[in-house]
Amino acid sequence: MYGLEQVIIQFLLNFTSQESINTILNDPRIVAIIIGGLVAASGGLLGVFLKLRHMSLTTDAISHTILLGIVVAFIVMSSILGLEPDLSSPGLILGAALAGVGTVILTELVQRSGLIKGDTALGLVFPLLFAIAVLLVSRFTSNIHLDNDSVIVGEIGVAWANTNTHCYTGCEDVVITPEHPAARVGRVCTNCSPGGINPRSPEAVFTEQCSNCGTYNAAEAWAQGLTDVQPLLVLWPRSITTMGVITLLNVAFILIFYKELKLASFDAALARALGFKPGWLHYTLMILVSITAVGAFDAVGAVLVVAFFIIPPATAYLLTHRLGWMLILSPFLGAISALVGYDLARANLLGWLPFSELIPGLTWNTSISAAMVIAQFIVFLLAWALSPEQGFVAAMLRRQNQRRHFEDQVVMGHILNHQETLEASQELATDTLHQHFRWTPARTQQVLRRLRRLQLIVITQNRVQLTEPGVRAALSFEQTLRTGS
Amino acid sequence: MPDQTPPIALDIEDLTVAYRSQPVVWDLDLHVPPGVLMAIVGPNGAGKSTLIKAALGLVPRAAGSVHFFGKPYDEVRLRVGYVPQRGSVDWDFPTTVLDLTLMGLYGKLGWIRRPGRAEFDRAMHALEQVGLQDFAHRQIGQLSGGQQQRSFIARALVQDADLYFMDEPFAAVDAVTEAAIVNLLQELRSLQRTVIVVHHDLDTVTDYFDHVTLLNVELIASGPTTEAFTEANIRRTYGSRTLKALGVS
Amino acid sequence: MQRELPSSVPLMTDSNSRRPALPGGIWRSLGITLMAILLFVLITNQFFNVRYDYTLLVVALGGAVLGLLSGVIGSFAVLRQQSLMGDALSHAALPGVAIAFMLVGRQMGALLIGAAIASWLGAQFIRAVTSTTRIKQDAAMGITLAAFFAIGLALLTIIQGQQNASQAGLAQFIFGQAASIRLDSLLTIALVGSAILLITALFWKELKLLTFDPVFAATIMRTQPVEALLSTLIVVVIVMGLQVAGVILMVGLLIAPAVAARQWSRRLDQMVVLAGIFGAFAGGTGAIISAADSGLPTGPLIIIMASIIVGVSILFAPERGVVWELWKQRRERVSFARRNVLISLYRHAQSHGDNYAWAPQELITGLYDGPGKRALGWLEQHNQAVKSGTRWQLTGSGLQAAEQFLNEHR
Repeated sequence: MYGLEQVIIQFLLNFTSQESINTILNDPRIVAIIIGGLVAASGGLLGVFLKLRHMSLTTDAISHTILLGIVVAFIVMSSILGLEPDLSSPGLILGAALAGVGTVILTELVQRSGLIKGDTALGLVFPLLFAIAVLLVSRFTSNIHLDNDSVIVGEIGVAWANTNTHCYTGCEDVVITPEHPAARVGRVCTNCSPGGINPRSPEAVFTEQCSNCGTYNAAEAWAQGLTDVQPLLVLWPRSITTMGVITLLNVAFILIFYKELKLASFDAALARALGFKPGWLHYTLMILVSITAVGAFDAVGAVLVVAFFIIPPATAYLLTHRLGWMLILSPFLGAISALVGYDLARANLLGWLPFSELIPGLTWNTSISAAMVIAQFIVFLLAWALSPEQGFVAAMLRRQNQRRHFEDQVVMGHILNHQETLEASQELATDTLHQHFRWTPARTQQVLRRLRRLQLIVITQNRVQLTEPGVRAALSFEQTLRTGS
Repeated sequence: MPDQTPPIALDIEDLTVAYRSQPVVWDLDLHVPPGVLMAIVGPNGAGKSTLIKAALGLVPRAAGSVHFFGKPYDEVRLRVGYVPQRGSVDWDFPTTVLDLTLMGLYGKLGWIRRPGRAEFDRAMHALEQVGLQDFAHRQIGQLSGGQQQRSFIARALVQDADLYFMDEPFAAVDAVTEAAIVNLLQELRSLQRTVIVVHHDLDTVTDYFDHVTLLNVELIASGPTTEAFTEANIRRTYGSRTLKALGVS
Repeated sequence: MQRELPSSVPLMTDSNSRRPALPGGIWRSLGITLMAILLFVLITNQFFNVRYDYTLLVVALGGAVLGLLSGVIGSFAVLRQQSLMGDALSHAALPGVAIAFMLVGRQMGALLIGAAIASWLGAQFIRAVTSTTRIKQDAAMGITLAAFFAIGLALLTIIQGQQNASQAGLAQFIFGQAASIRLDSLLTIALVGSAILLITALFWKELKLLTFDPVFAATIMRTQPVEALLSTLIVVVIVMGLQVAGVILMVGLLIAPAVAARQWSRRLDQMVVLAGIFGAFAGGTGAIISAADSGLPTGPLIIIMASIIVGVSILFAPERGVVWELWKQRRERVSFARRNVLISLYRHAQSHGDNYAWAPQELITGLYDGPGKRALGWLEQHNQAVKSGTRWQLTGSGLQAAEQFLNEHR
């Protein structure tokens, strides 16, 4: 990871100065938005396929149970192997991936026993694994930054502070010897003890000791004022690299297996018949979900990460039917929500509209990741209201149109069936017509007025009759009715 | 003394049912005299099950009226029995055959009251009628498909209704069960009950039923089997291609 | 597939049919549970120095009653295939808790009412999304779960930023903290709990029919009120259970006892009673462990206790469990092997024109290997075949048995 970051920074230095890179990376807002955007992009891409495969809740389960993988891997690595892992350690990512796939396999195993059906199996497996993880966290990992609060919320602020230091010039270590002008040298009593020899007593023996001698790396030395040479540093948040790599991995996976994924998501049986292995694809997808969830863990926590997989794809699904468009819209909407969400959390929309001042006395400082999810939810609500096809405004208008059309056809069909028959006089009398449909007289009259305006019926002597075009319309509608002919 | 029983068991007028404004049953008039055994036949998607469900108020009617024995359904609920499709429930549900049968009496019992001795006896009697008395305390999942269908019929029998709707009672059952159900249906008819059955097998219509309704969204024909179940009507219902495929032509 | 018997002939008597409806089973499991509780109390008291004082008793009782309610009502949720609905609804409760806290402060009653309202809104939202768009139930539940939970968390962080002192009282809703149950809240729990049990008992037959066959139910009664009643019961139980199980793990407490109980029961009443017992055990013991060791949140402990019960049930339940199933398969394999060996010996004898012809052992071991050898041993023990060196001969009773098998099979 470190080497990769260096390559990226070298590349960026071709276009811009180290100062401006640092200005950007020092801004928590920009870092949070970059990381949130990367989480949203990864989740949004995978989420599209998860949604089509009706696996939204499996994702929820996985995002909980990866905690078990992380905690177990952490305990193994730190207490048995004596390492100091953090969330980007390959060991933890491997543990999380295993836990994610393990959840899916365990659930399928429980279902296969035939004793427990469908969703219930998932509802048994993931609370158990998550419960074990939470207990392990409370018991064994109290001394690290993995606590139950960060499990739930995560904190993008932590991701911002968690950096790798890259040094470009003035990187030599500074060695402080007692002779160095910056060395702090003092006399220390070597044989004093409380109740024993007092420093003032003549028996006290003193030696010269240096309290800050040793080797400092360039950054430390500059920070403590031990050197005049300012090193050229870039502080690079580690999460950006991790999430960036994960995002690229997801993009590559989707590009390479686009055809297979599309087929397997729409028709798993057909895919199998054509020789694809949907099972293999299925588990790879689960592994990627787990890895993405671990990468996002630092930033958004175990519970909220599921929103990044579910809400933007569902929003995209409301706006388009096409898989290609969904894959573009979903990460895009997720990233926009990350931006809006950060500002929502800091009450400073788009960086310049400070709405916290609208309500005086309110210290508006809420969880950034939660605010990002709320932003996704708002985008979803907007899409639901305004989508041209599935939005409820459009649906209401359409339904009214359909109802009218339908009422017209009901009335015309009735007239067509009865106008040449003996009982026509009682079946088709305008003042009793509504009784046949069980409609209110007003509704029936409304329909009749509409049909007359369209010149599909005429009313003569209190009896309705179809006109020539009316007969044709009614007949052609009837033709479309029957199935199998 | 005038005749007390109304002349018509089921009276449907101008019934239209639609899912999302797509008509499934279209402007249908149907009059079923009491004491007949009627099949409803038609191709898949012709609205057979929907017709029953609309009559029972299980799906909303877009237009039209339904009367049982001259009254709206809500007033004669207890005189109408119903056998849903077997696949509509989870047979792994923890309940016994006897318990399932007793459910037919819940309507008559009304809110809160529990079934007592009399209800148990009636349920056991119904189970004897379908030949399941020895399975009364089995969990319903332990029954074969045919036995499950018969337990559904037993539940309808204890309803002691004057008119029954049965949705595909012959679907995927063994020959023995089919014969047993046919016997029961004919017994019900001899007791002057009306039975309306959604049916799939055109070959057996004439053997099993005295009345038939041919349906394909619209009503094609309805009446005594001898009159309505003609080749022309069948052709109009199914379309000639389908008919050939069925080997009926 | 079972073989069908004609209904006109007298049917073979079913061995289960005359057995009474197993009230003994209930008493037995109640007894086992009581013994398990006793054992649990003894062990924790003797070896872990848990002191069963008044406070702990209140906490344990609270956990047990909430577990019992979850088991009873969870049974209906599981049977209606709405297990994960519980997950969505419990997450959806969080913003209600936060808003209620902002409005009236830390009053358990108000928090629960807020939770119930939010949870109910979540249910309505799911219904609205699925009925007006192409989005399916699973995605709608996922959206609700994540979005409501995020709103709840955002509000909680705002509250925590403002009143540091009271935050502890709200964090308990995420993982559950039984230690917070005091006598007055225990009384509330008991009161509401009795009401729930009473309503369930009163409308027992309606709830059962609606859960089993909603379509048929709609033809004989008005189902909307029952439907509303059941959803209300589920929401109330979830919201009350949040105190001990927490938002994230409540779904486990709702469904695990029910799933375990399902394995042991053939009827709904048995299942519901057992689920109540299992839930009470998990709730009570989880609450005790967590109260005795304040570092551990209650929810995860309860879920682990409940999951152990599920595991045992799936493995060992009679007639359904995995072990029972394996044992049955094995038994069938063994009796199948015995029969085949017997018939092979018989066929061999027939082909030699002598009922008591000797057959070489290789004939059997070649055909059936190890199981064949074991089957020969069994036949010898049961006097159906005799051995001389490495050759085998049917006895009179063996011959009879073989002929009987062949006749049955014809």
